[in-house]
Amino acid sequence: MAQTVNINGKSYEIDVDGSMPLLWFLRDKLELTGTKFGCGMAVCGACTVHLDGQATRSCVIPVSVVAGKSITTIEGLSENHDHPLQKAWLKNKVPQCGYCQAGQIMNAASFLSQNPTPTPEEIDTAMQGNICRCGTYQRIKVAISEAALELGKEV
Amino acid sequence: MTIENVSRRKFIKQSGMAVGGLWLGIALPNVAMAKIGLATEAVFNPNAFIHIATNGDTLIYCGRCEMGQGISTALPSAVADELEADWSRVSIKQADGNEELYGPQATGGSASIRVMYIPMREAGAAAKAMLIAAAAKKWQVSAKDCYADSHFVINRTDNSKLSYGELASLAADMPVPENVELKAKADYKFIGKDLARHNQGDIVNGKLTYGVDTKMPGLKYAAVVHCPVFEGKLKSLDKTAALAMKGVEAVVEIPRMEVPFGSIGGVGVVADNTWTAQQAIKKLVIEWDLGPNKNYDTKAYKAQLVKNVESPAEKAAERGDIEQAFANAKHKISATYTGGHLSHSPMEPNASVVWVQENSCEVWAATQSPADIQKVLAQYLGREPKDILVHVTMAGGAFGRKFKCDYVQEAAALSKAVNAPVQLTWSREEDTRTGYYHSINAQHIEAAIDEEGNVTAWLHRAAFMPIASLFNGQVDRAPATSLSDIFNHPFGIQNVRTETGEAKRHTRIGWYRAVYAIFYGFAFGTFADEMANKVGKDTLTLLNNIYDNNKDPKQAIQVRRSKGALALAAEKSKWFSRDKLPENQGIGIAVHYSFETYVAMAVLVEVNGDDIKVLEVDCAVDCGQVLNVDSATAQMEGAVVMATALSLRTEIVFRDGAVVNSNFHNYPVLRINEMPKVRAHFIDNGDKPTGLGEPGLGPFPAALSNAVFAASGKRYRDLPFKPSTV
Ligand code: FES
Ligand code: FES
Repeated sequence: MAQTVNINGKSYEIDVDGSMPLLWFLRDKLELTGTKFGCGMAVCGACTVHLDGQATRSCVIPVSVVAGKSITTIEGLSENHDHPLQKAWLKNKVPQCGYCQAGQIMNAASFLSQNPTPTPEEIDTAMQGNICRCGTYQRIKVAISEAALELGKEV
Repeated sequence: MTIENVSRRKFIKQSGMAVGGLWLGIALPNVAMAKIGLATEAVFNPNAFIHIATNGDTLIYCGRCEMGQGISTALPSAVADELEADWSRVSIKQADGNEELYGPQATGGSASIRVMYIPMREAGAAAKAMLIAAAAKKWQVSAKDCYADSHFVINRTDNSKLSYGELASLAADMPVPENVELKAKADYKFIGKDLARHNQGDIVNGKLTYGVDTKMPGLKYAAVVHCPVFEGKLKSLDKTAALAMKGVEAVVEIPRMEVPFGSIGGVGVVADNTWTAQQAIKKLVIEWDLGPNKNYDTKAYKAQLVKNVESPAEKAAERGDIEQAFANAKHKISATYTGGHLSHSPMEPNASVVWVQENSCEVWAATQSPADIQKVLAQYLGREPKDILVHVTMAGGAFGRKFKCDYVQEAAALSKAVNAPVQLTWSREEDTRTGYYHSINAQHIEAAIDEEGNVTAWLHRAAFMPIASLFNGQVDRAPATSLSDIFNHPFGIQNVRTETGEAKRHTRIGWYRAVYAIFYGFAFGTFADEMANKVGKDTLTLLNNIYDNNKDPKQAIQVRRSKGALALAAEKSKWFSRDKLPENQGIGIAVHYSFETYVAMAVLVEVNGDDIKVLEVDCAVDCGQVLNVDSATAQMEGAVVMATALSLRTEIVFRDGAVVNSNFHNYPVLRINEMPKVRAHFIDNGDKPTGLGEPGLGPFPAALSNAVFAASGKRYRDLPFKPSTV
């Protein structure tokens, strides 16, 4: 029996060499291109997805390791693209080129689920692994704080 | 400028665009394009199109390339404003690369807004006038009795309304008005406001596709490795192990294409996914003949550049009598400044899909210059530029890198070899090590200051590998024209001599966002602070004094606007209360004029031992009319982020001919925890709008150096101040 992985609620057979990083399985095999390639060595965060809810750099995690687990990508973060972070991103007009933003949002979503009331310093620490070359950091900080407040209300 | 009614023209149909409704094409005058070096023959080459469909949907084709700077929102919003459009009915489409259809599309030099702003507005106004004329005809009233509002034409006499959709076909039969009146500033609905980028919804959903994201049936994936040394060649290649890998289809030698934007030369692997191709690259056994640049070492080279500017060099330009002024000087002051190579390193690495077939060649690429792709591929394939069809995708950042299409030419070579569409994605390592680099540089300034503290003479030598060396390896120094920003600096010192020092080429130069402004801005702004210290004035006073002494009527505007920007930066920041700052904090100020825009920055830092932390940056910007306040502010935030990294630590280092850096761990760009508070303040003087993508970088390094000096007494004259170790 081939191994499978659940991605955004759907089950997929892992029909590639198990050492292929999840990133390339997503991008080249499943054509889910929302998850981006930036560095390939876990130093930029562009490829961030959730592995059982935890932010993970998909460029360094072999697809065999995620067999039987649940992956969420930016495409599956919310049903109607209305995650409080996505809304806060739009409200604060965060993106410039946008290339890093899927990774930023996925990283922030996992972080807020663990720390729903972060301080600015905690946001800095949590988001340090995600590079934005266009320099949208100031807005990312504000958007995360606002989304945290919003999430607080939802509870 | 020409606006033409192209509703009935054949090419609309041929190019697969929607037929029916009103189509206007906008072509820029060649003078405007010549000014920015993009002139073409005098034919009707629309640079943009407006289409109003019979259901009212309004589509604006934007010929300029989007890379995050917001151009594909800013320009259409100017059209929509004049058109009195309902913004929710307007969509924006990135035009394909097609010089015949769209005219020059190269996007750089912060030129899009400068060149396109008025024509785009006039086109919007022309379309509105035609819709009004159509309505007037239908109602049998005078056009004066009609006005447009939010996608409707309204009849003043009886308040009846016709929608743009209903009028579109009729409007297509109206002549294009010869003269159109543009709206007054007070009536702007979108210009100067803060419309969101049209594509941000797709960005946060992960749906927007970039150069790396193109998919199509039969697509193959590729990776590439280049000779690490510029002008080196492949000596031997053993591809056995790579070819034995499952999924690998071909290993292809890609010789250097000796045109400026062609491949530097390397080996490509085509496979059934990118990762396999990347792994196979590692299995290649390659021996390179490293060629003439194999000893290039940036540390030694920089030291040589310093020597070259600290002794007489080749004269570029001169006015007045600097010898006399130096002889009469009360103070003489001199300093030498340097800067390293930089890699653009956009988050999206170089990537494109190319499909070369016998009778066609189609390209999907993130690019700043589709026309260059057409030219280079035409030359490579022995075809005509018009036979190369380029689809321009969104670019995940570019900063100057994606002007050069070497990565596209390589994809073409691979596609040709395997006879299929090939997506080539460069690894971050190749992007860092074998790109085009902002030039390493050195400058030496000597100034004379008289009894009253006036700066009376200015000797300025600069040495850097010029962009011209990319086209001609014999060019061994910057041409005099590249020093004209020094000679024509708004300081307008009476006695000036500029000299250009030797700087032989050892790598490929490709300017980084802001070009010369990075190092000229650094030298002028830091030296001003050093002069102020020498004569015991504060920097703002000294700068104002220099500008006030500039009596050249041709520079009166530059003087006024430079001073205006400085005053605003000082006022908005803690400049005037700097005496009250804690011991370890300091504020520095600088102004720089580039790309017709004036930016002054006041930078507040905290210095603890060796650690420099940028706390606050106030940017005062005079870019004429601001098109979109939000994206203009974003450009300043981005400029500060980039400039902070290049001022403090990022530099591309060559040793033994090759780049030592490889990825973001040893090319450490700025991260979120180092983000200062950035505030942008605009001098909204209603002048014609000027560029914003680049000018934010110019004043920052100097303002930072000045701030660190104020805080600690330590002067940094080399960019980066504290190179990260590689
Ligand atoms: S691509 Fe995975 S962290 Fe950069
Ligand atoms: S928005 Fe361009 S890299 Fe972050």
